[in-house]
Amino acid sequence: MDYESQPYHVTAALVEWLLVIGAAALIALFVGGVVALFLAGRRAPALVFAALKRGFSDLTSLSVRRIGALARLTIQESLSRRTLLVLFVFVSLFAAGNLFLQSPGQDMPAKPFVSFVMTSIRWVLIPVALLLSCWGLPADIKSRSLHTVVTKPVHRSEIVIGRMLGYSLLTSFILFVVALLGLIWIQRVVPERSKPQLTARVPVYCDLEDFFFLDRNGQTGKGLNVGDMWEHRGFIEGQTKSRAVWIFEGVDESYLNDEGELRMEYSFEAFRSHKGRIDEGVRFRLHLVNEEKGLDVPYPQRGAGLEVQEFSGERAARKDQEKPIIDIPRELSRTVGLDEDGSKVDLFDDLVEDGKLRIELSCEDDGQYIGAANTDLFIRLADKPFAVGYFKAIFGLWLMVVLVCIIGTTASCFLKGPVATLLTFGLVILGHPMRSYMENQLQQLDEKGRVLGGGMLEACYRLVTQMNVQSPLPENDATRVIQYLDTHIFNGLKIAEFIIPNFKHFDMTVFVANGFDVPWMDAGAAIVPAILTVLGYLIPCVILGYFSLQLRELEAK
Amino acid sequence: MTAESVIQVRNLSKVYRDFWGRKKVQALNSLSLDVRKGEVFGLLGPNGSGKTTTLKLLLGLLFPTEGEVTVLGEPAHDVGKNERIGYLPEESYLYRFLNADETLDFYGKLFDMPAAQRKERRDALIKQVGLENARRRQLKEYSKGMTRRIGLAQALINNPELVLLDEPTSGLDPLGTRDMKDMILKLREEGKTVVMCSHLLADVQDVCDRIAILYAGELKVIGNVSELLQSNEETQLLTSTLKDDAVKEIEEVLKKHGAQLKNVSHPTTTLEELFLKTVKESRERPGRRFAPGEAPGQDKSGAV
Ligand SMILES: Nc1ncnc2c1ncn2[C@@H]1O[C@H](COP(=O)(O)OP(=O)(O)OP(=O)(O)O)[C@@H](O)[C@H]1O
Ligand SMILES: [Mg+2]
Repeated sequence: MDYESQPYHVTAALVEWLLVIGAAALIALFVGGVVALFLAGRRAPALVFAALKRGFSDLTSLSVRRIGALARLTIQESLSRRTLLVLFVFVSLFAAGNLFLQSPGQDMPAKPFVSFVMTSIRWVLIPVALLLSCWGLPADIKSRSLHTVVTKPVHRSEIVIGRMLGYSLLTSFILFVVALLGLIWIQRVVPERSKPQLTARVPVYCDLEDFFFLDRNGQTGKGLNVGDMWEHRGFIEGQTKSRAVWIFEGVDESYLNDEGELRMEYSFEAFRSHKGRIDEGVRFRLHLVNEEKGLDVPYPQRGAGLEVQEFSGERAARKDQEKPIIDIPRELSRTVGLDEDGSKVDLFDDLVEDGKLRIELSCEDDGQYIGAANTDLFIRLADKPFAVGYFKAIFGLWLMVVLVCIIGTTASCFLKGPVATLLTFGLVILGHPMRSYMENQLQQLDEKGRVLGGGMLEACYRLVTQMNVQSPLPENDATRVIQYLDTHIFNGLKIAEFIIPNFKHFDMTVFVANGFDVPWMDAGAAIVPAILTVLGYLIPCVILGYFSLQLRELEAK
Repeated sequence: MTAESVIQVRNLSKVYRDFWGRKKVQALNSLSLDVRKGEVFGLLGPNGSGKTTTLKLLLGLLFPTEGEVTVLGEPAHDVGKNERIGYLPEESYLYRFLNADETLDFYGKLFDMPAAQRKERRDALIKQVGLENARRRQLKEYSKGMTRRIGLAQALINNPELVLLDEPTSGLDPLGTRDMKDMILKLREEGKTVVMCSHLLADVQDVCDRIAILYAGELKVIGNVSELLQSNEETQLLTSTLKDDAVKEIEEVLKKHGAQLKNVSHPTTTLEELFLKTVKESRERPGRRFAPGEAPGQDKSGAV
């Protein structure tokens, strides 16, 4: 699994959120103030103040019964549009999957089945949520049914929340049914030999900053690059002092499994500079190190070391059905090959220091290399049932669908159905790939905010005038305008980066499909950041939706 | 009149604009009127004269271009006042996928009513509007009159103090019209205030205390129905059936002031006449406003 574990900083995220929301609120207030000034002249401040006061009371004094009624109405409305037919779509999808994923020889791994279920749920359910939430309210306004509702003592905020809740509940129900079907389907169609892959491994990774390399002289340095641009691993050289180092934190006896061993899993990669013993893999050893006590306990303690193939560990393991697992006993001999009653060390008493366990990787074959990255070695806690990881990933999907409902409903408060759909679609579907593009572009900014190598307009200019990239632009006003605009396009991108939801938190397929549990906390896909992201959108969306409904005539134009 | 005003409208104007803010229609022009507590107020006018627009402005569904509206002492956009208001829209804008029971239950919930109270109100209202046999059918299957009836029930769910009815009798059968009028009179008896728009002038004449006639967004006539429909310049005699020569004789006798009169009163025009005249005059002489009591264009001929 190529994936990088990074810590998620709740406080930092919160601060960033507050800043963005605060800035947005200030801008909205300013724009609102200007518009009011334009329309109402001297009475403007009073009007703005009254609107804010009313907004505050409307957003805080909500009736559960009214919201419930509106949510229920939303569900009934969606059902009257035959939304449940979408269940048949899933049944037929699963049936089709059955046909296409059957491979001869019964050695199909579990991964494609799991991915298939997760992907089809996502790509069917998100459009459903999108269309329902974007079209409901505008249809309601157009048919003027909403007139009858708003002439009752209903706050517009309750309409927004009721709608969001209704769509979320309905799509949740569909999701739950489909998720159950999917789980049953997976368990039935995954070939018997691949069943063990249906599990939820619980890895403990070391932090990114606690992973580093020692060079061939034993000095802190970088891993070697073996020439593959896309390789995220650093390599260490065999039979030198070169090592990859992981420092795991918070290690205690609760990490031991039932046999009293510390289970570790690895997925290293070998690189050969010469043929060597071609029928065997490249050998490596782990070292449990306590620098303070001067301990360096090798593992395995006997023989020439473990082998790793020229592929990453997982693929190698699949090939010969040997799991890339190391079970380290609590009691170890101090050095390789020392006889049993030689001096012993205890994993926790002697090696672990303040909960920190330092493990080093060495390559045992002269002139060969082994590559490792941060996540290539982890402590593996007791496995959880597959269903745990599966439903956590479904929960992530659920949050994503809820987020779509929230954004869709909000957009439909001030836009007509088609435009709202387009906007939400843009944010949701395109937001994900667009985001990496934006992040890429933003990396071109230097510290002073200048665009390195020219921005978009400059590039266009050079294309049209067939000017090469090295020659400087002419010193004139046109150049200055181009550069000025370019910087602002980038500023716009920066703002967009904050506004477009970060959907990477929600896609947990990679975990379940690879037989991992879904982490609670991580900068990538994880439960807590996903929940926080949804909450982070919920609050401004309700406010935005409320003011859009409040400040507009609910008359079809 | 000293009765307290339930609705105050001051210099109310409404311009409908298109998406780009360009003026489409001036639907109301500087309208001022008061509706007093406990009366039935009729809003009349030809199609497109701004009646519905006025009601929507009262309810805060539309925002005034100019002027002010106070309803039950609150500004029109205040949500709290809706607790005490019932509104029957021009066409019953209800949810077609709900049945009558669900509809009333839904609107009851919007008033934050507890379940028992909702059920009680629902049963009473369904009986009152005569939909007992159709309460489980979806509204999309309803006929126009049935939709009107459930719309009315919906408007009364909260036992409102102020009822706004936009063409309440449209689509109703004669029996339904009769029921509707009885119901409006009953509301008045209970001390409620009713504002209604209607084109059925006979109905308006039957139930309204005061009326206003709008023409092209402007107020042309306002006043008590009885005052508006009577003229001070003539006298009306009502006698038993007379033969032709008897009528001639009466003319003579009248000259001598000697006949026995069964009834002497001011003659009344019908509301229909008043309405048609107002519209005609407004068309001929735009911008004119008729003072209270002064009905437009009364002909001076006597009526016997
Ligand atoms: N949503 C709207 N957009 C633009 N113009 C409108 C809108 N609603 C009403 N109007 C215009 O405003 C004017 C007044 O309309 P209104 O509906 O108030 O008339 P009305 O007196 O209720 O008529 P009717 O007797 O036919 O119900 C009309 O000219 C109408 O075309
Ligand atoms: Mg009308």
